[in-house]
Amino acid sequence: MAHPDTSIVSPDAPPVQRNWWVYLVLAAVCVINFLPYLWMVMTGFMDNATATGQSPQWVFTPSVEAFRFLIFEKGIMENFLNSLVVSLASTFFSVTFGMFCAYAIARYDFGGRDDVSFWVLTNRMMPPVAVLIPIFVTFQTMKLLDTLVGLIILYTAMQLPFVVWMLTGYFRDIPRRYEESAMVDGDTWFQAFRKVTLPLMAPSISATAIFVMILSWNEFAFATFLTSTEAKTLPPAIMAYSIGANISWNVLGAAVVLVTAPLILFVLVLQRQLISGLSQGVIRK
Amino acid sequence: MAELLIENLSKSFKGAISALSGISFGVADREAVFLLGPSGAGKTTTLRLIAGLERPSEGSIRIGGRDVTRWTPGERNLAMVYDRHSLFPHLSVFENLAYPLRVRKMSEAEIFARIAAVAETLQVERLLDRYPSQLSGGQMQRVAIGRALVREASVYLLDEPISHLDAKLRAKMRVEFKRLQRDFRATMLYVSHDQLEAMTMADRIVLINRGRIEQIAPPQRLFDRPDTLFAATFIGEPAMNTVPARISEDGGIFRLGIGSSRIPLDGEWVRSGTAISPSADYVAGIRPQHVALAAPGEAGDDIVRGRVFAVETLGSRIIFDIEVEGGVFRVVATVDVGRLHPRDIGAPIAFRVDPDFIYLFEADGGRTVRQARFSEAVVH
Repeated sequence: MAHPDTSIVSPDAPPVQRNWWVYLVLAAVCVINFLPYLWMVMTGFMDNATATGQSPQWVFTPSVEAFRFLIFEKGIMENFLNSLVVSLASTFFSVTFGMFCAYAIARYDFGGRDDVSFWVLTNRMMPPVAVLIPIFVTFQTMKLLDTLVGLIILYTAMQLPFVVWMLTGYFRDIPRRYEESAMVDGDTWFQAFRKVTLPLMAPSISATAIFVMILSWNEFAFATFLTSTEAKTLPPAIMAYSIGANISWNVLGAAVVLVTAPLILFVLVLQRQLISGLSQGVIRK
Repeated sequence: MAELLIENLSKSFKGAISALSGISFGVADREAVFLLGPSGAGKTTTLRLIAGLERPSEGSIRIGGRDVTRWTPGERNLAMVYDRHSLFPHLSVFENLAYPLRVRKMSEAEIFARIAAVAETLQVERLLDRYPSQLSGGQMQRVAIGRALVREASVYLLDEPISHLDAKLRAKMRVEFKRLQRDFRATMLYVSHDQLEAMTMADRIVLINRGRIEQIAPPQRLFDRPDTLFAATFIGEPAMNTVPARISEDGGIFRLGIGSSRIPLDGEWVRSGTAISPSADYVAGIRPQHVALAAPGEAGDDIVRGRVFAVETLGSRIIFDIEVEGGVFRVVATVDVGRLHPRDIGAPIAFRVDPDFIYLFEADGGRTVRQARFSEAVVH
């Protein structure tokens, strides 16, 4: 049986205006952003002489000298592994804990809720350098200096406010009704959360996780002060290996390739997810 | 199926706002009861308390004879349909319908059979593979109702399930609902602010205002015999005319003053029941349907004279707003009758009040002092 008056026919959306100058601006922005990076990558593939030459050369014979130096002489892959472990673990913990904190702030009315969320925000405002010394001393006392565990704990704590702040907004955008429907249908609160809220939050959670992951991966100041040999991550390693009495530009360039390549791959693979996650709250309603 | 019994239910929220105070009513097995009232009256709060989504401050809820006041929502075996956001956006229509069954660990074959049956009744078979975002408002609410019907709940709770649809679709859904109610014979508690929905679909209406029950009655009785001024004015479209009034007596004839007119009342009607004092203030209520326009030349005690304040043309009927001393009176006339009378603003016009259809309410408190005299047998 057909229902002609219950099916809704929507007219096509009006065509979007395309302006050629938008592409011109975008191209300019891309060039300005990309050129320094391109130059860095090119430097990475130069030999020492070319890299330190007086006049910059656009055409040269590529060499993997700098990569060989970093990987085989300095063993930078060990630092790479450290970075990977620290950023994956801290992302996992901060997103997991942060998710429940954000849920509580978004869903429950408890005494001091606004104070808690304000405190969470102000944590982000504090410059990290301000707590560098206290944290160093604390780490020393707790025997956490130069350990991966120490860095994971620190990064988790550092990222938590950001995660809570991002996810609270996203949780608020998901009507409580969905959980309530599931609970009336017979689910417990946790089942409703896992089967209904979490799938709806997936894009937002992965977008947040990507951000946190990038921040942990690139963290420099604390990693420099709190690690030396065992747990050194990539950012301090790059500085240690390329900047000595004078700067080995080709080593620096090669290191930049090593540190950014995983992130670029990661974002390229997940960019659809990232964009839909970021615009989540805007489009639904 | 089971009956539902609410006793002395109260709920106050933080900041000492009392949302509900002392609500008691019952829904018999397989009965459709409507919770009707203006927005903010406490209807949805009542429903949420019954569903277990809120904890009552006081009172008890019994379903099928068992006290479920402290039970979790899942343990109560209820089905609920909301005005919106009833369907999970990340699941297809089929999975949405299957959700309450999967929670109960039902076999795939059984799930399939039940969904097929419900989908056929609700005519949503061809939508099963779609996602909620691909459905129109009417389809979405039909699936939402299906989600409730797919399992055997003790009580079905419906929170304005069709209020957000457009008028034409709503009229259609009302008819569908009546048919469903007949087919499924479910114990149903339906929340609505729309008297039309309540009047057409309810077995009984619980009229609620400011967290208190005004009256519990079948629809026609609620219309004919309102317990309070609120009930009288809330039910009926256009709303009942109310004017401050006094009852006077001269020479054994009781009269009701409206404007400058003194309408003679039935002596027996005035004398029956609680005593009516000539010095007390009352509110007289007369439905617009029970007032007739009078020809300009007509004279008599029951004629009230006034001026045209506004005229609303509704196609088949015309509503005259007539300004009299003490207020504005609304009179409904058929378009044929209405055409015979002046419709210019400010023009003098007269109407006749049938004393058999006058209600009398307390001026303070709003309790009904006298129901209209007409007997239900001869009405309409």
